[in-house]
Amino acid sequence: MNKPPFAACAIGLSLGLAAGAACAAPIKIAVIESLSGPQAATGLIYRNAARYGVEKINAAGGWNGEPLQLVEYDNQGGPTGAADKLKAAIADGVQMVVQGASSAIAGQITDDIRKHNMRNPGKELVFFNMGAEAQELTGDKCQFYHFRFAANSQVRTKTLVLAMKQANVLGTRVYSINQNYSWGQDMEKAIVENAGLGGYTVVEKTLHDVNKIQDFAPYVAKISAAKADSVLTGNWSNDLLLLMKAAKSAGLTTRFGTVYLDQPGNLANAGDLAVGHYVAQTFNAEAGGAAADEFVADYKAKTGHVPVFVEAHTAFGLAMVGDALKRVKPENGALNVKTFAAALETTKIKTPMGELSMRAADHQALLPIVVSSVTKDAKAKVDGTDMGFKPARLFTADEAAAPAQASCRMQRPS
Amino acid sequence: MKRNSLFLLLAGVALLVAVPWLLSQGLVNAAIQMLIAALFACAYNLLCGQGGMLSFGHAAYFGVGAFATVHAMNALGGTGLLPTPLLPLAGAVGGLCFGTVAGYFATKRSGTYFAMITLAIAELVHSLAPHLKDVFGGEAGVSSTRMPAWGLGFGSTNEVYYLTLAWVLVSLAALFLFTRTPLGRLVLGLRENAHRLRFLGYDTHRLSVIVFAVSAMFSGLAGGLQVMNNESANYAVFDPSLSAAVVLNTYIGGVKVFLGPALGAALMTFFGYAVSDLTQSWLLYQGTLFVLVMMFMPTGLAGLFGLFGQLRRRFGLAALMPLVLLSLGAALALSMGGAFVIETLQRVFSQDYRALAAAQGSAAWPPITLVGRAWSPTAPGTWLVPAGLLAVGACLAWLARWRLRTLESQERTPEATAATATSPDTQRSAA
Repeated sequence: MNKPPFAACAIGLSLGLAAGAACAAPIKIAVIESLSGPQAATGLIYRNAARYGVEKINAAGGWNGEPLQLVEYDNQGGPTGAADKLKAAIADGVQMVVQGASSAIAGQITDDIRKHNMRNPGKELVFFNMGAEAQELTGDKCQFYHFRFAANSQVRTKTLVLAMKQANVLGTRVYSINQNYSWGQDMEKAIVENAGLGGYTVVEKTLHDVNKIQDFAPYVAKISAAKADSVLTGNWSNDLLLLMKAAKSAGLTTRFGTVYLDQPGNLANAGDLAVGHYVAQTFNAEAGGAAADEFVADYKAKTGHVPVFVEAHTAFGLAMVGDALKRVKPENGALNVKTFAAALETTKIKTPMGELSMRAADHQALLPIVVSSVTKDAKAKVDGTDMGFKPARLFTADEAAAPAQASCRMQRPS
Repeated sequence: MKRNSLFLLLAGVALLVAVPWLLSQGLVNAAIQMLIAALFACAYNLLCGQGGMLSFGHAAYFGVGAFATVHAMNALGGTGLLPTPLLPLAGAVGGLCFGTVAGYFATKRSGTYFAMITLAIAELVHSLAPHLKDVFGGEAGVSSTRMPAWGLGFGSTNEVYYLTLAWVLVSLAALFLFTRTPLGRLVLGLRENAHRLRFLGYDTHRLSVIVFAVSAMFSGLAGGLQVMNNESANYAVFDPSLSAAVVLNTYIGGVKVFLGPALGAALMTFFGYAVSDLTQSWLLYQGTLFVLVMMFMPTGLAGLFGLFGQLRRRFGLAALMPLVLLSLGAALALSMGGAFVIETLQRVFSQDYRALAAAQGSAAWPPITLVGRAWSPTAPGTWLVPAGLLAVGACLAWLARWRLRTLESQERTPEATAATATSPDTQRSAA
């Protein structure tokens, strides 16, 4: 009761009156992730990072003198649940949405937000995509209110190829093996397109079923018969682990270039056979020097664990959001999402990994990428093993960037 | 009785029509999901409950209907032959066509083999869909937009709600009337004794295919309605979890009563909607509920109403009230105690809590917050609360049982004498 204006505001808002426009409404930011069921492990990672990121924005003063309110929704593992929870979030007055664990869900959310914004001018929402890497999201489906703060297949493959070539481990015969769905197909395309850059020929391309194969021995036999120098793959989770295990047990010494080897649990599961393989990642504290150590220490103090996998770039993404918010003035006490999105388009911040900026053309973040190899002499050990990721090369955002897709025709609000 | 049910039905429909005035936008959207789940469960029940054919792959027909609708929506733009409100028909046609083909093969066998074939067909579609990016849109799915038609914009949730409600009511009525036709009666015969039906000269295979196709048609319609609501379709709809959910919903609701599956589906959908944001363990509760229903109420939740009516006729409402109250109290206390234990354990074993405990360093177990209070996991008082609730629940359950026994024995004494006086046997022997 010590803040009568806000109490009046809350009553006004709950009655759905126009009074909302006249009072300072705190920004509500929603995390719509899989918080239960089989995909919960990944969803919880994004939620932790989002909590940290929002806490940082609030520690710096929030926006318009008020902290951002983080609301968490469980999308129940699928796009339908996500669509439901997005509608619930809109009804609750949310203006920003954070999600990352699945491209299927991101596809649903970005479409729903686009349509909502089209039908409800003045009540826009903005979507921060922290990890859905499907190319369509910044291609065919790109839209003004979607921002991707994660990498994508093009960026990851390009840096992986360049770093492995520099370290003299790539060779000239590359085998491409990927999961047969949009992500794996994107990766295969990227591997073929980067052949000139890496000075290799793709000896064979394989697409296989997703998360269904228990024995990769036949695929390993094909790799071995193709006399490949290295294998590039976008596989994740079991498909990556089982592939590497099959390669090891067949005595294949071919080097693997991967993009998801740093998922939590992978190294513990793979054991020694992961040593020597490469991964393109968005954060590696060893490459970032003192600033990165400071970030890791702060993250650990706030959340109880060091940032792994996607947590760091999610936190950096929200730091960009915080930076853009600083430059947006309240209109009638509330956030104008259109103005905010325009400010976010031009945001550029310093992170421990280097400069991070947003590309206005397709709303793909230009982020530094570090390519690391698994060794036992890495500074930070992972998953309780004696192994860790040792940086081979840090790419600045400009070096890593892949051009915007021609299929993106963004409709800008006038 | 007949007039009573009609009155109840009209009251229910009136309540459904009034939903947008009574509930917030978020809940109206939940109501749309509940209606769609209810239609899907009733369509499934035609095959499973009435036809006695347990299908484990109904997500396939739901999904085919969904994609048929989304492609029709994109191709026609809500104009021409199929304006926006009629688009779910595309889903129905899709479900019907696919259901006829799949049903032809599946119904060649019965029992476990039938279930396996439906499972295989669903899995075939499920693993095929991610590969066909042109048809199923890849990971990001196919999206579309509801176009204005018939003077309506179809932009707001309320308009979508009424569209869904109209389709669901018409479909449920059609499904109900189907059970009243001679063909619908034969479906029950199919469940009870297919051999006998064949000896009577009926073509049971053709009959099964028709039932299968009709069930798939309404499943496809439900899928189409979901596309109308979400304006997109993703191959995730082919996930086996959707096939499992419809089986669970149908059985929790009760397969013997026509609206039983609708009740189960609506309740479980709302449960998922409301509880998933409160706790991560909602899937555990859902599974526990299913097991309990199967163990103690094989007739499902709808069976409870039947049981209540039966007991009321036997003992009268006044004598029954203590029993009802005792049972409700027992259920409440047991579920509260159980939920308390599960929630506490879930919090103690969660990653956040372990991180917090590790951050505090010493062997201390920091308190956890539950129902607005802090509880220390090591204090005996914390565990006395659920233990007490469970004990009270068990006591009440025992009392309820005792009450039922007393009622039954009271009934037997006076009725036994009455029965001997009027039973036909005694009359015959007297004659």
